[in-house]
This record gives sequence, C-alpha cells and structure tokens, in this order.
Amino acid sequence: MIKVNNLTFSYTKKSFIRDLSFSVFEGEIFGFLGPSGAGKSTLQKILLGMLPGYQGSAIVNGTECREHKSDFYESIGVDFEFSTMYDKLSAKENLLFFSSLYGRKSRSVDELLRMVGLENDTDKRVSDYSKGMKSRLNFIKALVHDPKLLFLDEPTSGLDPTNSRLMKDIILEEKKRGKTILLTTHNMQDAAELCDRVAFIVGGQIFALDSPHNLIMSKGAAKVSYTWNDNGEQTASCPLDRLSEDKLLNKLIAENRLLSIHSSEPTLNDIFIEITGRTLV
Amino acid sequence: MRAICRSFLHMLKFIRHDMMLFAALTAPVLAGMAIKFIVPFIEKSLIQFTGMNAVISPYYGLFDIFFASISPAMFCYISAMVMLEEHDDHIDRYLFITGLGKNGYIISRIVIPALFAFVTTAVLLPIFRLTDLSAAQIIFLSLTGTLQGIIIALLIAALSSNKLEGMAVTKLSSLIIFGAAAPYFISSPFCFCFSFLPSFWMGKSIYDNSLIYMVPSLFVGGIQIIILQRKIMKSLI
Repeated sequence: MIKVNNLTFSYTKKSFIRDLSFSVFEGEIFGFLGPSGAGKSTLQKILLGMLPGYQGSAIVNGTECREHKSDFYESIGVDFEFSTMYDKLSAKENLLFFSSLYGRKSRSVDELLRMVGLENDTDKRVSDYSKGMKSRLNFIKALVHDPKLLFLDEPTSGLDPTNSRLMKDIILEEKKRGKTILLTTHNMQDAAELCDRVAFIVGGQIFALDSPHNLIMSKGAAKVSYTWNDNGEQTASCPLDRLSEDKLLNKLIAENRLLSIHSSEPTLNDIFIEITGRTLV
Repeated sequence: MRAICRSFLHMLKFIRHDMMLFAALTAPVLAGMAIKFIVPFIEKSLIQFTGMNAVISPYYGLFDIFFASISPAMFCYISAMVMLEEHDDHIDRYLFITGLGKNGYIISRIVIPALFAFVTTAVLLPIFRLTDLSAAQIIFLSLTGTLQGIIIALLIAALSSNKLEGMAVTKLSSLIIFGAAAPYFISSPFCFCFSFLPSFWMGKSIYDNSLIYMVPSLFVGGIQIIILQRKIMKSLI
C-alpha cells in the first residue's frame, strides 16, 4: 500500500528527513510515534503529495507521490489534527460539500454522523460545536468518500474517555472493513492498542519499527512485584522468567503470607525513551 | 471538472453567508450607476458654476477605464477574501488533498470568478459607459480589467497570511488601477514610468484611441500573473 525507499527531504540545506525506508501493508494500522518536530507531519505531507521536492522514492497506492494526478486523492482520506471545516456552515453542509469533491460513491452522511453521536447536531453551525464534536466531525469527513487509505493525525486528541473509546472502536471497525490506516500520534496507549506495527521517529530518522508487543518484549522482560507483612508491609520483585528461583516468594506462597502480587511490563513509552533517548513531548 | 464546479458553487454559497462579501457583489452596479448618472450631473453643475465648456468630460474615458477595472477588482477581491478565510481555517490545505487538488482550487477560486468578471464587465460597460467605446474597445477594457483583477487577487493571496492582512493589502494592490491616469496627466516620456502596469496601457489605449496598446497591456499583465501564480503555488502547502 505504501512503500518508502531511501527518502530524504529538507526544507533548508540541512536534511530534515534522512534516508527513511519502510513499508505499510494493505489492511494494517501503522503508527508513527515521535515528539514534536520529529518529521511526522513532513512525512505525512510527502506521502500526500504535498511536498514533491524529496529524494528517494515514496509510493502510495502504486503512484510515486511527486508524480500524482488528481485521482490520487480518490482513495485517500485524511484527518488532520486541527479542524478543517467551514465554521459558518452546518456539519451536514460541510460533509455534503466535501463528499461532492470526489468521483467515488459517498457513504451516507447521516449514517456517519450517527456513528460518532452527532445525529442530533447535523444542522448546527460548526462554529457552535465543542472541540470534541469538531474532532469527531473532522474524523468522519475523512471517511465520506470511503477511501482505501486513511491518514489519521492524533484522532483522539481533545476527546473525553468515552468519545476516545468510540473513536478507537470506529478505527478498528474501519480496519475490519479492509482499510489501511496510517496513524500519527503522541499517545502511546492509543498506539499500543490500535497499531499492528509502529515506527519510532526522531530527528527525521526511524529508530525502531515493529509491533508494539515485539518492541515491549524485546526490550524488557516483565517483572513480578509482591508484598507481604513482616513488621509492616514489605515489597520485593523478580523477573517473570525466574519466578521459581525466588526462594522468598516460594516461601511466602507456601505460608499464604502474600498481601499482593502483580506483573508489570514496560510500556511502549518506556521502550520509546530507552530506544530514542527522548520523551514524547 | 465536477469538483471544480462544486467548489465554485460552494464559494457562492459561502459568500451568501458573509454579508460584507455579498454586499461587495453589488459594487459594480452601484459604481456604474454613480458613474452614469452622478458624474454627468456634476459636470453640468461645474460648467454652470465655472462657465467653462468642459471640466471633467475630457476625462470621461478615464471613468470608463475605472469602471472596467472595478467589476473584476471586486469579484477577484471577494475570491481572495474567501481564499484567505479558507487559509485561516486550514481548509485550503484540506481541499488540495481532495479530488479538487491545488490546480482545481486555483481554477475555482481565481479563474472562474475572473471569467464571470469578464462577462459582467463586457455586459455592464456598454450600459454605464460615458464615451462612445467601440465593441473592440469594450472587449479590450473588459479583458485587461479582468487581468488586473486577477493580479489584485493574486497579490492579496500572495502577500497576506490572514484575512486582516488581506484587507490592508487590498487597499494597496487596488492602487494599480490608477496607472490609467498617467497618460492623461503626465507627459511623455515620463508617463512611461508606469508602463509596468496593465492599467497604464488601458489609459494609453483610450487616450490615444489606439488598440495597438492592447498588446503590451496583455503582455505586462500576463507576465505578472505568471510570476504571482508561481509564488502562490509554492506557498500553498
């Protein structure tokens, strides 16, 4: 679906994106994780054909991005982080206009609005929408022409937990419908939950690329922490794969003296910091 | 083409929601009526007051040129304002990655309004003119006026980063229509200092009653449009 080879791009004389190579397969959710200024948005612009002055190759849906024609966008849907709606028009008017710009058969606007819980606000001006409502509306705008490839930039940003859950469920549903999704986010929890594979990008370079599970497992074994009472609460831990060698733990189990026991894996965020030496801020 | 038409129709709908821009659409007719009815009345009053044979009637050609410039300038100004609002709201960036594309966007926001401006000018100029312009002169003035309108729209879009700046740039860029006055008030060869303006050649053409000046007018206007269009295409990301 997407194939990038030795991609290099610069706004100035200094390279901003350096020698990137990766592929995104059909039907997968691929996450780009990195701090602000890492090159995620620039990469997205290149893949959307907005920055043709790159070196190397960036092929999307079989088309080299710098040579795309207008039908290139028929199969691409984009949800930018910020609202790209006409504030003076209603939600429905906005969606109908944007869907009219494509040659493909559109999805039902009413159905999409219902899907994100905006069915009672279809005729309300977008300027009267809250930030979360705008975010949901922006998201379904990317779906109106039923594209094969979705670019989602921070799709859960600014949403309350209920709507964030709703959005993530819709993303997974779109994946089931066969869509390929490129997700750009700071949110490690979303990435771990949604993405089949993630790439850590910092300073225009990919530091790691694998499934969230593999990245977590490759960089840190899970630990087991436990507590017991011995003149006050005591705590100890040991690696999960060496539990049987922990004599104290075995003794506490035998004597039924454990107060609590739980395993703790490193998070994707911990792995990101370990690999890139950077935080996601 | 379908996306371009939809985008243009959508712009008309957008203008309907903005009273200031909607009011600007009526400017050509209001200006035409003012020129047609008020200017001759003022001339008559001035002749009576001064006892001269003519006071402003020798400059009636200049009024016709200004009228030919007003319709395209207003139409293209409206388009430029819509573009700036779309830029402020990041909508232009989104439209580029739809079936419309960057070229389709420019066509729907600049080229089609300019075509409408040309037709409107060609229709209204014979109604509101103060001099006996020939059909060729009417077509020439409508065409060069339209080129000037496109230049104004491109200048606004190229030099402003938001609607507020756009208002300021509109005032400055509209000054380019005053090049038409140079042949009337500045003697040769000094008047050629303004030869980089299409309006100068419009003035020269009417003042000298010669259509040959259509060539430099279209050439100068065309060059400026190409330069500005390239600048805009680069900045629109």
